[in-house]
Amino acid sequence: MDTWKHFEANELTHSAAHHLFAIYHVGAAYGGWARVSDIARRLNITRGSVSINLRALKKRAWVETDEHHLVRLTPKGLKIVRSVLAKRLILKAFLSDVLGIPDAQAEIDSCKIEHLISHSTGERLAQFLRFLISGPPAARNLVERFRRFHDTCPKSRTCDLCKGECPMDELKRAV
Amino acid sequence: MRTDGTDVVEDLNRLMAEEAEACLRYFQMRFRLRGKGRAAAEKFFDEALKETLEHADAIARQIRSLGHVPTLRINLSLSGGPMRPEDALAEALEVEQQALDAYEEFLPRVSGHGALEDFIRRQIAVETEHVQEILEVVREAAPLKLVAKPTT
Repeated sequence: MDTWKHFEANELTHSAAHHLFAIYHVGAAYGGWARVSDIARRLNITRGSVSINLRALKKRAWVETDEHHLVRLTPKGLKIVRSVLAKRLILKAFLSDVLGIPDAQAEIDSCKIEHLISHSTGERLAQFLRFLISGPPAARNLVERFRRFHDTCPKSRTCDLCKGECPMDELKRAV
Repeated sequence: MRTDGTDVVEDLNRLMAEEAEACLRYFQMRFRLRGKGRAAAEKFFDEALKETLEHADAIARQIRSLGHVPTLRINLSLSGGPMRPEDALAEALEVEQQALDAYEEFLPRVSGHGALEDFIRRQIAVETEHVQEILEVVREAAPLKLVAKPTT
């Protein structure tokens, strides 16, 4: 299984994603242009760090700078930001609305995953959400039933999920 | 400037963090250098790390003279493989340019503030010279030499 290598090969790192978001948010009020100092303040890092990190984003043609050292997203960078923000929205909705994870934790966890999942997984998850939320009454009923569902493992400690090893036990031990 | 000077102090803390972080960056950079021009670049970063530390120290003293204790906030993790001297210098240029921009943006906020304004003006002069020097080296692959940097 070489799946872990895909994580390393992911060209959009967590740090890169947050730099792109910062430029997107800071620049929103200024026609897309952002000052390095404002990006630094938003990310709570130094301007030197921002400037060096921007080099990698420039190489990938995700951002561009002007002669006054202002920064803005390229159409390619903007596309990435919008797609990742969409995935964050979908993930957060799934975590909080379906799984019932508290808002703050759902925000943190969706932020961790948003840039790692594929567009197709994001799209399918969105369809699943729509199915559950605005689909047939039976689907909405399923969500309601799940919210009331408090699982306890069978005494035998084996079930269809476990297949020999109980993940619930492992998660409880990890806390 | 706020009457108790706390906003100016906050900006000075940020400037100090820029210099201190640059110092750590240059410290680590020396060990990543590989290839042609390594010895000269290593010497450059040796000097640069001392100078940035002196700058951080000088800013800390300015903060103290305003009656505050310096607060250093750095969020830094440095790794990475071998680096060619020209790439390292290009990074140094980014760092120095940002320091210069930070001093220039700060200057109007200390206008009329005697010693502090003088200090910032001197820093701007030094950083300007430094940026120019690195620019020349990067553009022309000229031999590395360092400018003397007054810190007080």
